[in-house]
Amino acid sequence: MAEHLKIALIGNPNTGKTSVFNQLTGLNQQVGNYPGITVERKTGSCKLPGNIKGDIIDLPGTYSLNASSIDENVVIELLLNKTDKDYPDVVVVVTDVENLKRNLLLFTQIKDLEIPTILAINMSDRMEKKGITLDIPYLESQLNTKIGLISSRKGSGIDRLKGLIVNYKELSTEPCLHASSIEPEYFDRLRKAFPNELLYKLWLLITQDANFGLSHTNELMGTASFTKTRSDLKRLQQKETIKRYQFINDVLKTGQAIDTSKAKGLRAKLDRVLTHKVFGYLIFVGILMLIFQSIFSWSSIPMDLIDEGFAWLSVYTQENMAPGKLTDLIAQGIVPGIGGVVIFIPQIAFLFLFISLLEESGYMSRVVFLMDRIMKRFGLSGKSVVPLISGTACAIPAIMAARNIENWRERLITILVTPFTTCSARLPVYTILISLIIPEKTVGGIFNLQGITLMALYLLGFLGAIVSAWILNKILDNKHKSFFVAEMPNYKLPLIKNVGLNVLEKTKAFIYGAGKIILALSIIIWFLGSHGPGENFENAESIVRGQQEKIIPEEHMEDAIASYQLENSYIGIMGKAIEPVIRPLGYDWKIGIAIVSSFAAREVFVGTLATIYNIGSSGENEATIKQRMEAEVDPASGEKVFNFATGISLLLFYAFAMQCISTLAITKKETNSWKWPLIQLFGMSTFAYLVSLIAYQLLK
Amino acid sequence: MKTTLAALKKGQKAIITGFNIDAIPLKLLEMGCLPGNEVQLLQVAPFGDPIYIDVNDSHVAIRKETAAAIDVELLNDTSE
Amino acid sequence: MDIQSIIAYILVAAAAAFLVKKFFFKKKKKKGCGEGDCGCH
Repeated sequence: MAEHLKIALIGNPNTGKTSVFNQLTGLNQQVGNYPGITVERKTGSCKLPGNIKGDIIDLPGTYSLNASSIDENVVIELLLNKTDKDYPDVVVVVTDVENLKRNLLLFTQIKDLEIPTILAINMSDRMEKKGITLDIPYLESQLNTKIGLISSRKGSGIDRLKGLIVNYKELSTEPCLHASSIEPEYFDRLRKAFPNELLYKLWLLITQDANFGLSHTNELMGTASFTKTRSDLKRLQQKETIKRYQFINDVLKTGQAIDTSKAKGLRAKLDRVLTHKVFGYLIFVGILMLIFQSIFSWSSIPMDLIDEGFAWLSVYTQENMAPGKLTDLIAQGIVPGIGGVVIFIPQIAFLFLFISLLEESGYMSRVVFLMDRIMKRFGLSGKSVVPLISGTACAIPAIMAARNIENWRERLITILVTPFTTCSARLPVYTILISLIIPEKTVGGIFNLQGITLMALYLLGFLGAIVSAWILNKILDNKHKSFFVAEMPNYKLPLIKNVGLNVLEKTKAFIYGAGKIILALSIIIWFLGSHGPGENFENAESIVRGQQEKIIPEEHMEDAIASYQLENSYIGIMGKAIEPVIRPLGYDWKIGIAIVSSFAAREVFVGTLATIYNIGSSGENEATIKQRMEAEVDPASGEKVFNFATGISLLLFYAFAMQCISTLAITKKETNSWKWPLIQLFGMSTFAYLVSLIAYQLLK
Repeated sequence: MKTTLAALKKGQKAIITGFNIDAIPLKLLEMGCLPGNEVQLLQVAPFGDPIYIDVNDSHVAIRKETAAAIDVELLNDTSE
Repeated sequence: MDIQSIIAYILVAAAAAFLVKKFFFKKKKKKGCGEGDCGCH
């Protein structure tokens, strides 16, 4: 029977650690979450020599065990807790041959925890170009480890690495730096108090705030003789860092030789343009437009296909299964529900294709550099620009894109405000309302009033996002001072394999995460729309026929029945029940029903109105709906329902209301709690209500 | 000439001589921003913040206020 | 009720139960050093 070896991959960001992971595991990887937090937990399995199975965990990239973010905390929490199920038998530290000096800092720290450690030096394919030569045997002896020289890009050295992993027991666990040399007297006392623990481990426990749930933590913290001020601790950590670098510099002086005449240029040359005061921004805007285009128009073709496909499937099911409730549920609830999930895939795939390319190439860090100053004012990160712009196509992939924002607070604010941007699902509603209430006039020769109104709505969306970000920034706790240190890595050609796996993983995450919720909600909504209390609903057909037989021609009878049913279904009742609340906004109960229905997806608003106005099956024809809406008159006042005031009020409501269950579902998944989507729901809805109220009352 | 990292002009190189430990994140030290190491200013974002430096072979972007807490000694080099 | 309706209503109930479970289960999750800014500098 095959044994399972537990392996942990650790390393600085930008060392190609992900590529190494992909090389080792291929498609055998899963992404989950660490319990309670939103850091991704990436695991996979690989076959090692000797029929041994390796369980690999790809830990978040970190520069040192002194964690400065939640991700980095994950690393240290694992390595200090022998009882954790992921605690590794062997650690592979992935380093970049061009940045060995800095990368080795982490390596020496891990060595000091006395876990069997292998040093993997990646990007060996670049050694010659950069004039770097290494004395591997010397390095191995000085660092007390085995070295695997690999190129994850070319795929070389991986087999040898696997061999080293399997023979992990042969690795020495001698530490590189003896922690006590930092401050001998202090550490001596520690050693006497806790003779069974590693000194370095104790030191980490003292200096970190992380939650270890280990027995010693309380003892250590409580004992006055061991506590030091924050400032003192930092000084000691600085001392430790300096000592480590001294050690590393000594080792590399002999073990590494760099021919500095070899060009260092590409990164500097590219940066001169890409971070340029003017060109940098122009290029960035260009790229943003490209991303926007792709999500907006390129994905529309596959989206239309998916739409038609599921519509066809729905009809097919309805016609070919025996008539009955289950058939209805499948054809009208489940199939459209699944369709509603699948339709997001093209947009998600395109967006993440671009984001992967930007991250993998190293350009994303430059984006942060360019945008950070402006964004920080609003509590956002430089990286928030991509989600915000993508949100104008669809909020779902946009919210997922916020994952690459390291700071939790900035990420949260980004996720919460992105839905304010005008997403494409609102367009059908906007178009029809605008054509109803805004005259087709051209002002000043070139400005089309309708076009301007549309642009104004887009602008409103952006303003909504920025202003709410600003407000959230003031309200949300900012417990710790955030220091800004962002590495600008070398530019490199994105690896197709990495990009592909990333897109695949994000798509799967969406389908299984948000998808389940959306499907469940679709089923519930179907139920509410196709059932009603009492006889009105049950006997819809006979009632309608009885009343309207003489008046309505047979071909419209089905629509009339459908309309009556909708009115008397649970959704209909909800819509009518909220009428008193929405009357001040200028809406009647029919609009009320449409609003409740469009909770599933905003574009459903128009279709629902079509059903209510008895146009049902021919409702796809926009002209028909428009005519019908224009003609709709309020029985009480004799005035048009869709007048200017109501129209503006509705437009504003749609601009600001949080109405899309898919967005709520993805927010829940990305923030790992219901608290935030609910706050979004109530906050935005209340705001939308107030704005629409004021607008209507002022304009009527 | 003694000055701070924040006062460097684009392209100038200097040696780090010291810093105000409470104003600098540990991370920056761990990236190699230590006394005795050479540092070069590569780019400055609009409005002067953040700045982009090369230290210890690491290319890093930091806030101006952080840079102001790092003392350096200018190397007599050509600046752009 | 015929078999179709029975199955249909079971599915609806399952969907409802699923959502309720998702909703309440998350709230009880213990907070490790994680969710949000716990100040782990």
